[in-house]
Amino acid sequence: MKIAVCVKHAVDEAELKIGPGGSPLLAGAAGKMSTFDKNAVEEGLRLKAAHQGEVVVFMVGGTESKKTLKEALAMGADRGVLVTADTVAIDALRTATMLAAAMKRSGRFDVVICSEGASDTYTGQVPPMVGELLGIPYVGYARKIEIDGKAAKIERSLEDSVESVEAAVPFATSVVSEINDPRYPTLIQIMQASKKPVEELNGEEIAPAGSRRGVEVLSMSSQPTARKHVMIDGSPDEAAAKLLDALSKEGVLK
Amino acid sequence: MSGQVWVYSESEPVANEVATAAAAVAQGASAEVRMVDIGSVRPATRGSGGRLLLKGPAGHEVSPAVAAEALARAAKDLAPLAVLLGATRDGREVASRLAAKLGIGCMAEVAGLASDGQGMTGERNVFAGKVVAKVRCQFPAVATVKVGAYPKAAAQPGESQEKDVGPVSDQTKTVGREKKPAGAVDLRSAKVIVSAGRGVKKKEDLAILAELATAMRGALGCSRPLSADLGWLPEEHHIGLTGVTVKPDLYLAVGISGQLQHVAGMKDSKVVASINTDKDAPIFQASDYGIVGDLYQVIPALERALAARR
Ligand SMILES: Cc1cc2nc3c(=O)[nH]c(=O)nc-3n(C[C@H](O)[C@H](O)[C@H](O)COP(=O)(O)OP(=O)(O)OC[C@H]3O[C@@H](n4cnc5c(N)ncnc54)[C@H](O)[C@@H]3O)c2cc1C
Ligand SMILES: Nc1ncnc2c1ncn2[C@@H]1O[C@H](COP(=O)(O)O)[C@@H](O)[C@H]1O
Repeated sequence: MKIAVCVKHAVDEAELKIGPGGSPLLAGAAGKMSTFDKNAVEEGLRLKAAHQGEVVVFMVGGTESKKTLKEALAMGADRGVLVTADTVAIDALRTATMLAAAMKRSGRFDVVICSEGASDTYTGQVPPMVGELLGIPYVGYARKIEIDGKAAKIERSLEDSVESVEAAVPFATSVVSEINDPRYPTLIQIMQASKKPVEELNGEEIAPAGSRRGVEVLSMSSQPTARKHVMIDGSPDEAAAKLLDALSKEGVLK
Repeated sequence: MSGQVWVYSESEPVANEVATAAAAVAQGASAEVRMVDIGSVRPATRGSGGRLLLKGPAGHEVSPAVAAEALARAAKDLAPLAVLLGATRDGREVASRLAAKLGIGCMAEVAGLASDGQGMTGERNVFAGKVVAKVRCQFPAVATVKVGAYPKAAAQPGESQEKDVGPVSDQTKTVGREKKPAGAVDLRSAKVIVSAGRGVKKKEDLAILAELATAMRGALGCSRPLSADLGWLPEEHHIGLTGVTVKPDLYLAVGISGQLQHVAGMKDSKVVASINTDKDAPIFQASDYGIVGDLYQVIPALERALAARR
């Protein structure tokens, strides 16, 4: 079974600094593997363990994202494909177009796995777009995937219900965090990861933008809510009484 | 030019919220709103302006794949300026597939929608809600509208239109559907919310938080791990980026670390108080009042103090 997993090197939201004017300092910002993409890699590895084959990691990003690609390889993926592009400057459709183009060059995949949403942008758009552009069935928000020969059964976790959906291989999916517990790579795996093959492709070459403009970011700003930051001390009973006093004074306790 | 702004959501209440957003876009673009139904008319979608019924897809089970294909076929013929959907899980899929089929841009989970006539603008959370981005997309465009960001539109008379898009087949088959346990309260309208995090050791212990919430005439909410991963509370009780956005008078965070994704859903609360054993927990940065302490001691103390005052 050939398994493709899409992994994003996301901006680390906790580390992101805000400039004096309130705009985020994105140039040189720290990055990390998009949180739920760990679940996507884990699910790929789980399917490989059950059905043999290979797990190929696809990533659209700058050269700094190689770190995250290596992390996916250390978890156990067999090889990686890095499509170079500036992820902050492009929209979901463009990212998806590059991912689909890179996958088509690497041959036909039986299962394409993304996560439900990237931890920095959280659009949830790339996965269905990749499925659409590859022209294969798509079943998103998977919390369970079972494959038997050419038939797959997927449980979709929606807001108020769980749907069971049948699809034929090949198909594309996005996973939710409750699907599995991602493994941590061992030191040996981390060392071995640097020996695994990584192919580099130029995003503009494999999927030219043409005249399409897509979604543009006009501005970004951070306006943290002002809070009082009063720390209440004392024994539990003293602290509880002081807190209730404060809340009554605020008029928020009826 | 009198273009159209289409509204579609598989959820009827959400469709009526999206209709309000669509009215703002339509006004800026001198366009008309069309509430789209697929397969059959849903009387509960009211909207403003008119209706568009897409005939062809059989039955009442409209999967995201079928909805996207039906909308794409109709859009190729009728050329709406914009198609707005609800940012539900299914809605995101329909919107993304539609945009990919048409090769046009798709704005994700936007609020504050407006149009300058040539395209539309909106605002959305990025970097786990730390930053708000203003985004723009040239017409024709697709967008998903943040759930809960707009009031539901009132019914308005308008023209009804039909379009036959032909039969639409689905490559996948839905073979079962099970309701998730539903919550009894609507957190969006709660004045007081006591919210539980992973600091709560086991499911049974939620009872003391529920008691406190009742004593404060409030509702019990939680962080994502408690609902999505542990299943201790219904999923609609989780607050944050992927859950509900709440604005109570009082938000009491108990055993919640205060990661950005959680704070994104409660940062507009009037007063925030928190209880956490870790004095460096980020929740204190997002709080007006903080108690560094063990919830298993502080919560009973709060209950005693409340009872003494009543
Ligand atoms: C894309 C994405 C979307 C997400 N969306 C959401 C969302 O919508 N909502 C959400 O909540 N999370 C969301 N998350 C998850 C989020 O990042 C955090 O992992 C989550 O909020 C942590 O939950 P917590 O604070 O309950 O648990 P933890 O981070 O484990 O914190 C537990 C806290 O309890 C304290 N504690 C422990 N024992 C006690 C005690 N006895 N008394 C008092 N305090 C105690 C600890 O000091 C700690 O601060 C999302 C993550 C991603 C990647
Ligand atoms: N630049 C990227 N490179 C590889 N995969 C991506 C990229 N962007 C998004 N994805 C995949 O699509 C998922 C959802 O991302 P998004 O649509 O941006 O919320 C991610 O979790 C990844 O699996």
